[in-house]
Amino acid sequence: MGDLGAAGKQAFALLFSGDPELWGIIGVSFRVSLLAVAIIAPIALIAAFALAYVRFPGRRPVVSTVHSLQAIPAVCVGLAVYLLLTRNGPLGDWRLLFTQSAMVIGQMVLGFPLLLALGHSALQAADRRAWETARTLGASPWRAMWTVMREVRFGLLAAVIAAFARVIAEVGASLMLGGNIDHVTRNIPTAIALETSRGEYAQGIALGLVLFVLALSLNFTLNLLHGKGEMR
Amino acid sequence: MSASVASALLRFRGLVKTTASGKRLLDIAELAIPAGACILLSGRNGAGKTTLLKIIAGLDPPERASVEYDGAAAPWHEARRRYRRAVIYLHQQPYLFDCSVAANVGYGLRGNALGRAEIAARVEQALATSDLSHLATRNARELSGGERQRVALARALVLAPRLLLLDEPLANLDEEARARTCTLIAELKARGVAVVLTSHERLSLSALTHYHYELDDGRIALLPPSSDASTMDARGSVAAFDKASRRRGRAGRGTKTTVDDR
Repeated sequence: MGDLGAAGKQAFALLFSGDPELWGIIGVSFRVSLLAVAIIAPIALIAAFALAYVRFPGRRPVVSTVHSLQAIPAVCVGLAVYLLLTRNGPLGDWRLLFTQSAMVIGQMVLGFPLLLALGHSALQAADRRAWETARTLGASPWRAMWTVMREVRFGLLAAVIAAFARVIAEVGASLMLGGNIDHVTRNIPTAIALETSRGEYAQGIALGLVLFVLALSLNFTLNLLHGKGEMR
Repeated sequence: MSASVASALLRFRGLVKTTASGKRLLDIAELAIPAGACILLSGRNGAGKTTLLKIIAGLDPPERASVEYDGAAAPWHEARRRYRRAVIYLHQQPYLFDCSVAANVGYGLRGNALGRAEIAARVEQALATSDLSHLATRNARELSGGERQRVALARALVLAPRLLLLDEPLANLDEEARARTCTLIAELKARGVAVVLTSHERLSLSALTHYHYELDDGRIALLPPSSDASTMDARGSVAAFDKASRRRGRAGRGTKTTVDDR
């Protein structure tokens, strides 16, 4: 117990003294996850719009599939992308395994269905009259799409935040694809999972606190946004 | 049952619209909208008035329709590209975008190749004409029903449409707002903007309108212009004529028609 108390104190010391090792790990987490979400957000939201507004054969099965894929386990995504990127895999020539790029790809695959499904729900709930009004006032389909997205911006922002929260906290894919290499691919979840087992309690607690506060504040923001969405 | 008007801004021929369940909602041989005309479109609830307005507006695709705009005929899908900018549809409860009143009124203008100053000037003028200047910076979602409709009308009129489609413009309005709307429709008429409006209430609008179409069982009938008392008689006889001709047509085509299910 005395050990844990000391580790706790040390954790706060690490956090507030600006320990470069610790903040480096936090930096990797944010860089990888922000990049992954930034890449998938426009594509997923446009696809979500198409799913909500374009009638095409087989739309219903596609919608159910997308919504089911939200539940895909991170470690399965890690495994699938690993098999693609491994030396003998189809994309082995890219030499991406155990790099930040591999982690970004894994998080993109993991976040895409979630963002698509949540984005679809938000756009599906948008008032149809918004689209019709934009079109009848002469807007092109692209501008009308942008207008509808603006109308449900809180819901879409909530979807993006939820996707970010999911990918920054996942361990499975980052561990398999990044390999927890110090100063390169070690991010918050992999550091907590692996360094703690090697007795680095203080770092684990400090990183755990960062992730905890981050998750709480993201969820708090999500709730605020949902409230805002309902008000209108 | 079809209305022949010599020179039409828009003319629809062979317009067929089926509901998702396969029921034939609209089956219109010909519908002409003369330039500058004010047309009242009546019909029971569910007769397809809104659907017809949306088809005219280019928003809702019919199964089939040939559209003549300014003399040139084309299938609906092609024709709507050419005439869409000339026609504006207003919902029964207008949808205002979640931004300021001024931004709402300027929405359509921003799609045109106009400079910022030009847009601002036109918006300002449109707001002044519609007596909305004092609301310019307010969020459009905070307005009352009557104010919303005025904003929606100003937003449409600033684009100088040739045809305005008003879906139940008098529904859900208080007396004052209704009077304002009637005045505005009269102004549109005076300015030569064609208007098609739907209403349950023929009485309050018949003085304003040039033509009166009635939708019944998917068909459209032009009712003769007359006082309201005689219109009632005319309605009866036209409906009877239409029913008879429909029966003949059905027997002739031998098609399975489900319109009677309603």
